[in-house]
Amino acid sequence: MKQFLIIGIAAVLVLLVPMSFKDREPADIAELGALLFFDPILSADCSISCSSCHQPDHAFADTGMVSKGVGGKKGVRNTPSAMNVRLQSTFFWDGRAASLEEQALAPIANPDEMNLPVPQALERLQRHPAYRHYFKKFFDRDPDSSSLAAALAAYERTLETSDSPFDNWKFSDNPAAVSDAVKRGFDVFNGKGRCVECHFGADFTQRDFRNIGLFNGSTLNDSGRAAITKRPEDLGKFKIGSLRNVALTSPYMHNGMFRTLEEVIEFYNDPARFVPDAINRDSLLAKPMGLSTDEKKDLLAFLHSLTDKQFNKQGE
Amino acid sequence: MKIVLIFFAAMAYVTLSEKDRLHGRWETKPSEKGNVTGVVFKADSTFEGYINKKPFVSGTYTLQDDIFTFTDNGCEGKRGVYKIFFFSNADSMRFVPITDSCIDRKEGMSRLVMGRVK
Repeated sequence: MKQFLIIGIAAVLVLLVPMSFKDREPADIAELGALLFFDPILSADCSISCSSCHQPDHAFADTGMVSKGVGGKKGVRNTPSAMNVRLQSTFFWDGRAASLEEQALAPIANPDEMNLPVPQALERLQRHPAYRHYFKKFFDRDPDSSSLAAALAAYERTLETSDSPFDNWKFSDNPAAVSDAVKRGFDVFNGKGRCVECHFGADFTQRDFRNIGLFNGSTLNDSGRAAITKRPEDLGKFKIGSLRNVALTSPYMHNGMFRTLEEVIEFYNDPARFVPDAINRDSLLAKPMGLSTDEKKDLLAFLHSLTDKQFNKQGE
Repeated sequence: MKIVLIFFAAMAYVTLSEKDRLHGRWETKPSEKGNVTGVVFKADSTFEGYINKKPFVSGTYTLQDDIFTFTDNGCEGKRGVYKIFFFSNADSMRFVPITDSCIDRKEGMSRLVMGRVK
């Protein structure tokens, strides 16, 4: 009797699992990308997925200084948000990928991250009946590296946010959407703080790499962009990060060395106080900004106003 | 005295009606990648530019004889001067640079063709 019961349960499970997968059959390439993004099938031991480091609750960033890959192996840089990447033209802190498609495959194969060579990842997907079916449906072929990259990139392109209090103030012309502190903070951002000179644009970032003074060749030894370009002038330069949803993406900087936005503001206010022996620090940061306590608070309020309302709804 | 007053009133009318031509929301058609650039010109002589509903630039402007002069929070406060060509019953426009030392902005604005959002 017991045997029949076990066989019965197993049979139901066998039937239900593919059905539940079928229930959420993707409607388009981006939805296929979402399935893959959250599926640990793309890591060597099937223990982590893209979403393990790009966590939805944290604007698709991670909460650790550096992320942990397969087997708890630590990465070398802080995980940037995977949101609001549609307008970006370079990816990774050092800009080594020129397209979202190129970026999408790298963490799968990276031994410090998902540690699964792309050919093996493709074999797995080709053996998986549902994925095989989906790739046939959308790409008219078995999974290959270009279709896998296209699906992941398509999903990432859907992760755009444009409904923050700041957006409501500026785009919807609703001055009541933000506090006076936010408005003053925006003035500091554009004026005394000169933040806008790097963080300019729809996502508060530019197609540029800057050395903010977190490279000294010894205790801070990540050469950043220079490792890609081999140009000495790029030593210590990193991609300018987007500020959208920045209040959710702690810790900060390429090495995650600052845990709070308050620390970040203190750093920019006087970088030499934190790293006195920085090499190649950008001339924009040559002198302390001299922000007052109130100006720092206002700047912080402005940065918080860049958090999309979808994150408030999650907590409701 | 009367003539002077009439002159100033006429100038004010011309300036106001010039501004009215811009006042409101303007957008491009979606680009190949689906991006839409837009600007809201406000009655208080400020404007907000955006891409895909994301604000990216704020500034102040004047418009006189279709000459659009502005500064914004990018380009280190450099002033741009453009001639606006209105067409399709003044429901579409494009910018032709007169002077703008901000190269990136000049390239971007020279490509813009926008229609009034009704």
